[in-house]
Amino acid sequence: MRASEPEMPPPEGGDQYLNGLLARVARGDQAAFEAVYDNLAGPVYGLILRVVRDPAQSEEVSQEVLLEVWRAASRFDPAKGSAATWAMTIAHRRAVDRVRSAAAAAAREQRTVEVPVPHDAVADVVEASLDAERVRRCLDGLTESQRESITLAYYGGYSYRQVGERLGIALSTIKTRIRDGLIRMRDCLGVS
Amino acid sequence: MAPLRSSQHALTGVYALDALDTDAEVARFERHLARCQNCASEVRGFQETATRLGMAVSRQPPPALRPAVMGEVARTRQLPALDDQARHRRPVPRLTWRPRLAAAGAAIGLAVAITLGVVLVNTQNELGQTQQQLSQARHQLALTKTQLAAINAVRTASDATLVTKAAPIGGTVTVVSSAAKRQIVVTTRGLPALRAGKVYQLWLIGTNGNRIRSEGLLAPHNGRSGPVLISGVLPGDIFGITLEPPGGTVQPTVPPFVAIPA
Repeated sequence: MRASEPEMPPPEGGDQYLNGLLARVARGDQAAFEAVYDNLAGPVYGLILRVVRDPAQSEEVSQEVLLEVWRAASRFDPAKGSAATWAMTIAHRRAVDRVRSAAAAAAREQRTVEVPVPHDAVADVVEASLDAERVRRCLDGLTESQRESITLAYYGGYSYRQVGERLGIALSTIKTRIRDGLIRMRDCLGVS
Repeated sequence: MAPLRSSQHALTGVYALDALDTDAEVARFERHLARCQNCASEVRGFQETATRLGMAVSRQPPPALRPAVMGEVARTRQLPALDDQARHRRPVPRLTWRPRLAAAGAAIGLAVAITLGVVLVNTQNELGQTQQQLSQARHQLALTKTQLAAINAVRTASDATLVTKAAPIGGTVTVVSSAAKRQIVVTTRGLPALRAGKVYQLWLIGTNGNRIRSEGLLAPHNGRSGPVLISGVLPGDIFGITLEPPGGTVQPTVPPFVAIPA
């Protein structure tokens, strides 16, 4: 749609804007990558820090992820989702890989490293931005167990088996809790 | 098949939150995803939703991150675009995103190139398959070139140190490390050929063993392997190799048969 009016650049920070930048990055444009960095480094670092918790490790994982955005920009396909989602998906996967390998190592040593999960994970999400406020309101709209399942899995980096164990809920139930909760979140946030 | 399909379908949310337990579960679900349009579009919506959750915890990154990333960008070669055919066959390029296996780059690249030479002689009806392998090989070779440059940079680093250890199962393992680059280069010689059902897997083990990271699988070729580049090495990390089931594991199931300070 917007392609027919090339003299009007898409608004900064929007999906179209980032998609366009990423297409330039895919052609090796380092200046475009700097703009991508300015848009995504905060969300990428914030999410990784949330999951990994250790700032030094989070910085390291963030660097890997942002470099992967540069390296694999040609693999981004706007037909399959927004540029932000593509990058944040990479970020989340890397963060989860990092905590799972750390947790596995700790378990091997028979030391229990209780990763502190705030009971009121929702309150912790509070951020100044309007988008964050909206996310918080939508999380508030979930049932308690939907909310706990989703925040433990997404922010805590726990597998659904671990989520089930922590909440004392059967695996098959966790699956549907997470799915139902995400459907509600999706609709509440107006994700198409 | 209906019950199986619906049980897989219920995993869309778990998958979108990266909360499946094992790589095998992920692979199984992704096979399902490739055949299930509804699941794919639901997963996309959930991933966009999860992204909003991620955006909500955005934080100002440390100031050192920007120059560090830009510095790497300036010397990191990008992946070539996938052709349309390969794109359709691989709807979720998960391996590209989590390039654990790419760590074995040079050796795999060579192996793929050799396979390719053989495959190219094959008959017309295998052409489709060949083209797919070709695009994979191109991808691998591009990786390999970048990695070779990085490998040479470690070997010629002013602070490079070299340690060779004999493995109790036979053969030797050599690690060249550069603390300044936080990278090591691993080569092996004469490790025993593997029985079916076992692979060599590489690990970085953090101080006190509290951070174990898989660095992919080793693909020995004529008894030699490597050089394999491993990045992100922290002070005190130990490099190790274990024998694991095919495909490797998330964490080592046995103690490493060789361990060298990285």
